[in-house]
Formats: sequence, structure tokens, C-alpha cells
Amino acid sequence: MRVNAALALAACLAPAAAIFEDDAYHIDFHYALLGHPKHEATFFQKPYAASKASLLYTVSENGTVGAINPKDGALVWRSAPGASGNGHLRAGEEQDTVISAVDNRIAAWSASDGRIVWETNIDGAIAEDLEILEQEDGISNDNAKDAVVLVAHGINGVKRLDGKTGRVKWTFEDTSGDTPFQVSSSPTTIYYISLHSPLLGGGSKLRVTSLSPITGKKLDSYTLSSEGEVYTKENILFAGANTAAPILAWTDKAHKVLKVNIIGTKGVSSFNTPTSESIESIVLHAPRKVNSLPHFLVEYQTATGHSAEIYHVDLKKSTVSQAYKLPLLKGKGTFATSTTDANVYFTRITSEEVSVVASVSHGILGKWPIKGSSALAGAYPVHGVAEVVVKDNSASAVRSAALFSNGQWALIRNNEIAWNRPEFLSGTISAVWAQLPEEESLAHQLEEEHHQDVISAYIHRVQRHLRDLQYLPAWLQNLPNRVLGSVTGQSDSTTIEEIQHDTFGFHKLVIAATEKGRLSALDVGSQGKIVWSIDLHQFAPGSIISSPSLKAFRGFVEVKDSSLTRPLFINSTSGGQVSSQDAHDQWLPNSDQETLVTYKLSEGKLQGFLGAEPTTQPVWAFTPPPGEKIVRYTARPAKDPVASIGKVLGDRRVLYKYLNPNLVLVTTVTEAGRRASVYLLDSASGQLLHTALHSGVDVSRPIPSTFSENWFTYSLTLDSTSSTASRGYQLVVSELFESPLPDDRGPLGDSANSSTVLPKGEAAKPHVVSQSFQIPEEISHMTVTQTRQGITSRELIVTLPSSNSIVGIPRGVIDPRRPVGRDATAQEQSEGLVRYAPMILFDPKWHLNHKYEVAGIKDVITSESGLESTSLVFAYGKDIFGTRVAPSFAFDVLGKGFNKVQMLLTVAALFVGVLFVAPLVRRKQINSLWTVPQ
Amino acid sequence: MSAQPPPPPKWVLDLNTPPTTKPKTNIADPPGYTASLTRRDRAAASKQSVRKQPTPEEMDTLKMKKAWEVAIAPAKQLPMNAIGMYMTGNTLQIFSIFMVFTLFKTPLIAALNLQKTFAPFETPGTSSRLIMVKLVYLLTNALMLGLGIWKVNAMGLLPTTRSDWLAWEAERTWSERAVPREWL
Repeated sequence: MRVNAALALAACLAPAAAIFEDDAYHIDFHYALLGHPKHEATFFQKPYAASKASLLYTVSENGTVGAINPKDGALVWRSAPGASGNGHLRAGEEQDTVISAVDNRIAAWSASDGRIVWETNIDGAIAEDLEILEQEDGISNDNAKDAVVLVAHGINGVKRLDGKTGRVKWTFEDTSGDTPFQVSSSPTTIYYISLHSPLLGGGSKLRVTSLSPITGKKLDSYTLSSEGEVYTKENILFAGANTAAPILAWTDKAHKVLKVNIIGTKGVSSFNTPTSESIESIVLHAPRKVNSLPHFLVEYQTATGHSAEIYHVDLKKSTVSQAYKLPLLKGKGTFATSTTDANVYFTRITSEEVSVVASVSHGILGKWPIKGSSALAGAYPVHGVAEVVVKDNSASAVRSAALFSNGQWALIRNNEIAWNRPEFLSGTISAVWAQLPEEESLAHQLEEEHHQDVISAYIHRVQRHLRDLQYLPAWLQNLPNRVLGSVTGQSDSTTIEEIQHDTFGFHKLVIAATEKGRLSALDVGSQGKIVWSIDLHQFAPGSIISSPSLKAFRGFVEVKDSSLTRPLFINSTSGGQVSSQDAHDQWLPNSDQETLVTYKLSEGKLQGFLGAEPTTQPVWAFTPPPGEKIVRYTARPAKDPVASIGKVLGDRRVLYKYLNPNLVLVTTVTEAGRRASVYLLDSASGQLLHTALHSGVDVSRPIPSTFSENWFTYSLTLDSTSSTASRGYQLVVSELFESPLPDDRGPLGDSANSSTVLPKGEAAKPHVVSQSFQIPEEISHMTVTQTRQGITSRELIVTLPSSNSIVGIPRGVIDPRRPVGRDATAQEQSEGLVRYAPMILFDPKWHLNHKYEVAGIKDVITSESGLESTSLVFAYGKDIFGTRVAPSFAFDVLGKGFNKVQMLLTVAALFVGVLFVAPLVRRKQINSLWTVPQ
Repeated sequence: MSAQPPPPPKWVLDLNTPPTTKPKTNIADPPGYTASLTRRDRAAASKQSVRKQPTPEEMDTLKMKKAWEVAIAPAKQLPMNAIGMYMTGNTLQIFSIFMVFTLFKTPLIAALNLQKTFAPFETPGTSSRLIMVKLVYLLTNALMLGLGIWKVNAMGLLPTTRSDWLAWEAERTWSERAVPREWL
């Protein structure tokens, strides 16, 4: 029996393969992002001591630890993001692990593949700093260097962790109430630096406590008088850790004075900063290696340029002296430190050139002008790391990974941009499908023709076609290229023009907004190419955009944010600002035909109001029963084309769908009772149409839901402590019909108009058929594919956060009319129904992301394409993923397997054959006319 | 010295020189043997075979008989066609489509060629009686057509159910439109 069911299921699932092998990596794209890399936690490092090539390690601003291949920018491995961006990453020399501290979690990762070697959690505190003890001191293992962690925000103190196991070797607790700042180590001592704030206001003193690396006991403590300058941690520039020059540097608020202390001594050297221009920020760059020269670079950023000074530390005399200066350059730039043996080199990266100087003298060892890249146009480097190859006192090669101001993380190899990663997209929180203005103009023209009488419409059309003739020469010119490209299967780079002239409608723009206020347009049809990218703050100076929400109109998008006084309107194709007059509201329905009702959630109630303007008096209100809290509501999408208003049964009768555009599904939870309920409302009248109650639900987990056509679905997590028979995750699907009887249109009968405000009694409720399925994984978000006319069967697209995947479940599998407890009859089989099986296993073929690991997806949006068979899918969040799906197969377009060359050759061969055969046939016909019959 | 060869056996002599006339024996000819006729015999036979011309009444009766045969002929094909239709099933295949096509074509062509078909039987004496025959002919052809329609219906090609007219049924228009406030 079970085998039968499995076979039936398999037979049903067979035509639901989501992706063909030759389509993978061509129709889809994936940006495996880390987020903005943090400056102090980004470095080149060999994954193991004998490795020839090094990897680029970083911890990003959202706490993701990752390794990038510097050759092509591909992600080698990454961790799950941390709870906050408070992350540190260190690697010991010639170690095969990197150690990260994100929040309270300290973990050692295998440097080459990202496997966790060990991890430790600090209870009730957060790791403030992390260092590796490079020096051998007898109590560490031979091959694993120990880590020193500074913990704060709870119990302050320093811990030494075993490099092999992560076990805590000793703990030093600081009970003085100081604010911990950093740890630093020298061969004999561990220095713990904290900010000591006096009781009576003013600045803070810097307190340096030296600890024994063996026992963790306090050896000594002294304070540096820095009250005048240091108020917060931001005033401290640098606290050298693990460097040859363990220095502590700070500056005052006005950036006038630079004070440097060699840790372990009490002397403070004071230097005046350049006074030619007011300095906006000072950054101190020092080498990280212990055995390198004790030289460091101080970078000064002004409003218009940047300069630097190089200082040398004399450890014997404990003095700091300025060695030389690097001249002020106009424009923004940054510096990176690199070491080869003991030599220290500084790489200066600007948007125009890369130059390398040695720390000992100011002679430029190498200089490369950068070839411009469109991805980095107009952006300047913010921070970077570099690797330099120096031969015979001249730099032969340099590669530097720099974060640019437009959020691109790029690797500059000598003079070219080797790769760039759009890390700014990592925090995408809103995205919409752009509507291009040209489509609008054509639609408008057609509409105009529709309203005119026949003759003037004809004249209008002829005029339009004549006007279109001006594009003919260009079109003809382009034709050979297009034919050639189509035959050879090559697709060239896309521009806005190509998106407009796209035959299949696969090239659709997605406008995505990030939490940092960047807005960018991606072409989903050409591997997610970034068409434009802008910073929204340039249009709204003074505001800090943190949670923008987008809405698409024809030709532009509307950006709303809590910090903006009025919405911004951005052109979809260029990224320029559009005046708000053009942005008239395009959505509003025809008010002469339909009465507009709007509803919103307020004070725990869903309230409906007459008209678009906010009025005080609601026309209806839905208050959930006491104890229940509305968690979300899902409305039918505004654009939801329905091809057929009924479902044809196997015996050719019709079950009529309950198609009401005003349906809204309200999900409520009861915290105490572990219950979740769904209420189906008619949002025009507020009438309750259907309700379902689920008990034993883990209400702390998300309950995603979606609505399409005449069916809705939602997913629940069953409570593990409940005593119900089943545990795990459930997917509930409900379908609405006008009547339970076939060929019956229910109480409304054949009337073409309907109003729910004046209902025909209770009987106008839909007939609801529901089925629930057990699913193997939790769903965090669900949506439904959209096609142009809704003829193609739909697919439920669900996001599975635990396996980092996106799955398209065919509609036939979750049809609530599947026969329960018996095999499907012949008529049901002809409808495509198979016997109900309580468990839906996600077929590997349903996974849209195939080999990609799509992490941190927040939302998935779908759109129609130019072809009825195909729907475009775009997923965003931490990663960006885009693909297209054809739930009923690509029935209206030739597949990749179609050999166009062969077809053309066949046609040509037939033509040649005809040329040869035609004279023969002609001669035979003439002969047959002239021969005398015997 | 050579001996005289023995005389040939009798059967060889009989074979080489068959008797010219049939020996008067009482033995009957073997079955299937036809003796060649003599001239006299032939003359007698030809004299006997001169046929008497049938009368017009006899001719009419004969023609009516033939006409009835023509009229009933489609009905005779009916059972075979019905079995063929049943065997091909209700799926749309090239064979069943061909068969259904002929089922429709034959009766219609037959009805159109009605006068032509019965023209050889048309005499002043039969013309009044032929009307009945023609009606029966049409009826049997209609039966054939009926079989075709039954088959088409079984194949689901006749728009007899609600689902066939579903595309002409319109979605209800709603006099209200409700949207979430954040869509505006």
C-alpha cells in the first residue's frame, strides 16, 4: 500500500522538475555576501603554514566570519551571522586556524575550509577584544597558539583560552569598574588597557594593567593622564597589539594633538598634527607582525584630501620620532600596511592610483595608475589591506583589497580591478520589481486607440508605426548580431535599452534598498548585474535612512523611511531623482466603479475605513477574541490574474472558485494557550468567512502565510512540549469554492455584480476545503509564482532557513482535494489528484537554489516575465539570489537543447537538394508529356 | 550380337496414341473430368443458352431488390464500425480521428449523392417505390452518423457540459475594493 502511494506520488512529482542541468548557473545568480568587512579584522593569511597562496579573511559588520579567494573573489567559506556586529578575528602566524570572537561566542575555524575546531561561549558578557599570544611561554601547546580574550558588558576581565581546545586557562577579573578597552601582549607581559573615569565628570584616564601570561595574576598597574583628550573609546586611535611596537595612541576631539605612549612605559610623546587643513579623522596603521620593524603610519583625512606621517619607535630608548611625511593628495584615499620579513611597507590606495613606500625611507617603490571600473565609478577607498612583493628595493607587484565608499569590496591587482564584491547588498531590506516607463507609454497609446472610433484609431496606429520607423535602421544594423547571438547562444552585456527591447521579458529590474540607505537596480535576467547604485542620503541630506520601504510605479520608485519627512521618488532606469509632481498616485482603483475601503492594524484591531484618506470612524473592525494577538495579515496580491474562474473536474463538471479580491487572512496567536488561529475576512465588509484553530503551536516561531487566487496557505511549528500525536512543522492549504456542488455558483448565482457590504446572508460564505501536510523543515517565508495571465499552474515558493535553500512546491502536491484514505479514481487521476500522503518531502528537484547556499533570506518576490510559462524569482536579505521558474515547463520557448545550427543546416541542405532535384523532375515531366503511350 | 529389345509396354502405347473416340464403356468419367465436346454437342448447347428477355415487371422487381440492398448496406457496416470505435478508445489518436472523420464523411457524402446512387434503379415503374428505399438509406446513414456523434461525445469533443462554456463565463465584478493602507 505504501509502495503504491509512494509510486503515485512519484508519478505526480515527476513533471515538476524545477531546474534543468543546462539552465543552472545560467538562468540564476547568487551573491554569497558577507557584509561590509571590518577594517581591523581583515587580513591576508595563508590557510596553513605550507600553503603557497593566501586567503583573505574578514569578519563583517554583521558578524559573519568568512574567507575569500583573492584570485577571483569567490567565497571559500563563511559562518552564520552573529547576533550583532561586534566581531573580532585574529590569526596566529603559521597557524591553520583563525579565531573569531563575535558577541559572546569565541570560535576557532579551520582556516582552509571553515570547519569549527572549537567554540566557547562566555556567559553573561561580550568579547570586547581578542589577541593571539604569539610568544612561546611554556604553557601553550606546541602547534596551537593561545588566545587572550577581553570580556566586557557584564563581568569585565581577561581570559586566556587554550588554542587547541578553547578551554579557559586562567581568568583575570577586573572589579574596578573601569571600561575595558583592549588587550595587548608583549613577550613577557599581557597588558590590559581600560578607561578609568573619575567620579567628577571630565575625561578618562587610561589605565594599563600588566598581567602575567602564565598565571593571569596582576603584576603592575599605572595610569596615563589623558583626561584632556580621551572621553570615549573613539578618541583612542590605536592600542598596538601583537606588534613590534606596542603603542597606545590617542588624540583630542579637535584632532590637533597626537599622543603616543609605548605600552609598558609611562612616557607620553606628543606631536602636533598638520595644521594646513582641519582634520576630520586620524587612523593609525601599524604592522601586525611581532618581528617587524617598529614603524607606524598615521593617516590624516581632511575634507578634501589625505596625507600621512610615518613614525619610528626606538624601543631601546623608548622614544617615538617622526621619520618622514607623505604629501597631501587631493581626494580620498587610504593606507594599508604589509610586511615582508622584518620590512614594513605602506600601500597608499586612492581611486586613481596605488603606490608603495617602505617604512624606512620615503622613496616610492612602485606606483600603478588604476584602470577605471564602472562598478567603482565615483567611489573612493575607505579602508583596505595589501600584500606587496618587493624585489631589489622596488615593488614588483601589489594587491590590495579595499572597501570602497559605494559598498563594493574590490581587489586591486597592480593596476587593474581583479574583482569586486557588492557587499553593500548584504543588508537589503526592501526590494520591488521596477516598472519601466516605456511599457507605460505603449500601454497608454494602445488604450488611446481603444477609446477612439475605428478610423481615427487606425490613423493613430499608422502614425505610431511611422514614428517607430526611425528605430528601423538601428534595428536592422543590430539584426546580424542578434541572429548570431541567438544561434551561438551567447548573451552579451545588458544595458537599459536591451531591457526595454527584451523579447522574452526576462530582463527585469529589481530595485533594492539596503539598511544603510543605498538604492540599487539589478537586472535579474543577466546574472544580477548592478545597473546603477546610488546613496539615498544625497537626496535627503541630514537624515539617516535605516529602514527604507519601496513601492514601484511606472518609471520610478517611491522610497519611504521614518527619517524622511516626505517620500523620495527615484527614476527606475537611471537612479536620478524625480520631482514629486510626476509621482501621481497610479494605483488607486476607478472610484466611479468601485468603492475604496482601506484597512490597517491599529491597537491590536484590524480596522477598515471608507476611502483612501484616513478618517476617524472605521466602517468595520475585527477584534480577535480575548487573549489573542494579531501577528500578521495577508491580502490577495493586487496583481493576481485568474485564467479560469472554475476548476474542471474529471467528469467535465465545474467547481467554481470563490474569487474575491478583498479577502484577507489574519493570523493570531495566544501566548498562553500555545494556540494559533487564522481568520479569513472579507475586508470590504469585515465579515468573517472562515476560521481555523490550531493548538499545540510554538507561537514564538514565525507563521508565514500567502494568498493567491482562491487558495491560501500557512505554515506552523508544532510545540515540542505539547502532547499532540505529531510534532514538527505543518503546512496547511485551504481552497475556497463558491459551492460544494459542481456546476453550481452558490447563493450568488449567475449575477455578474457582487457586493459584500450588502450580502445575501450567511450563505454567501465560501466552501472551504483544507488539508494539512507535515513538512521536514521550518518555513520562514512563502510566496507564489506569478505569470502574465495566470494560465500556468502555480508553484509555492518557500524559504527554508535551516538548510539555506529556496524550494518551489508544485501546486498539485498541495492540492487540498487530494483523496484521503483511498486511491484516486480514474476521474480524479485525470485531474492530476493523487492519494493524500500526510508527509511532503521536499524533492531535491524542487530546490531552486541547487548548489548555492542562500543564507539569511528575508523575502522572496516574484514577477511575471514576457512569457506565460515563466515567472521571475528574486530573493533578498543577507544574500541575493535570482532565478526564473517554469512550473508547467517552458512550453512557449525553445529550450537550450534545441540545436539551431542543425536546424539551419537541415534547411540549407534541403534547399540545395531541391535545387538539384528540380531540373530532373522538370525533365521527367516534359518527357512524360512527349512520349507516345504504347 | 545383340538381342531384340522387348516391345514397349501397353501403357506407353496408350499414352503415345490416345484413342480418338471415347470408348463405349460403362465406366463413368472421374470426378472433375470434362470430356471435350464434340461439334454437335457444342451446337446443341449454344442453341439451349439463348436467354429469354425478362419482362419490365421482373426488371423492376430486380431493381427494387438491388436498391434495397444498397439502402441496407450502411447498416450492415454498423456493427463492425461500432466495434472498431469501441476498440480505439476515447483518447485522441490519429486512428480514432481518422475513423471518426470517415464516420462523419460517409453519411454526408451519401446523402449528397442520393440521386446518383439510386439513378440506375430509377425507372418509371420503381420511382414511386424508391422513395421508401431512399428514406431507409438516409436512415441507415443517419445511424452511421449517430455512431460518429456518440464516438465524438465519448471522446469529450461535444460541448455539452458546463466546463465547455466556462471560458465565456465572467468573473464577478465587486462593487467594493479593499486594500491594506500601506499599499497606498
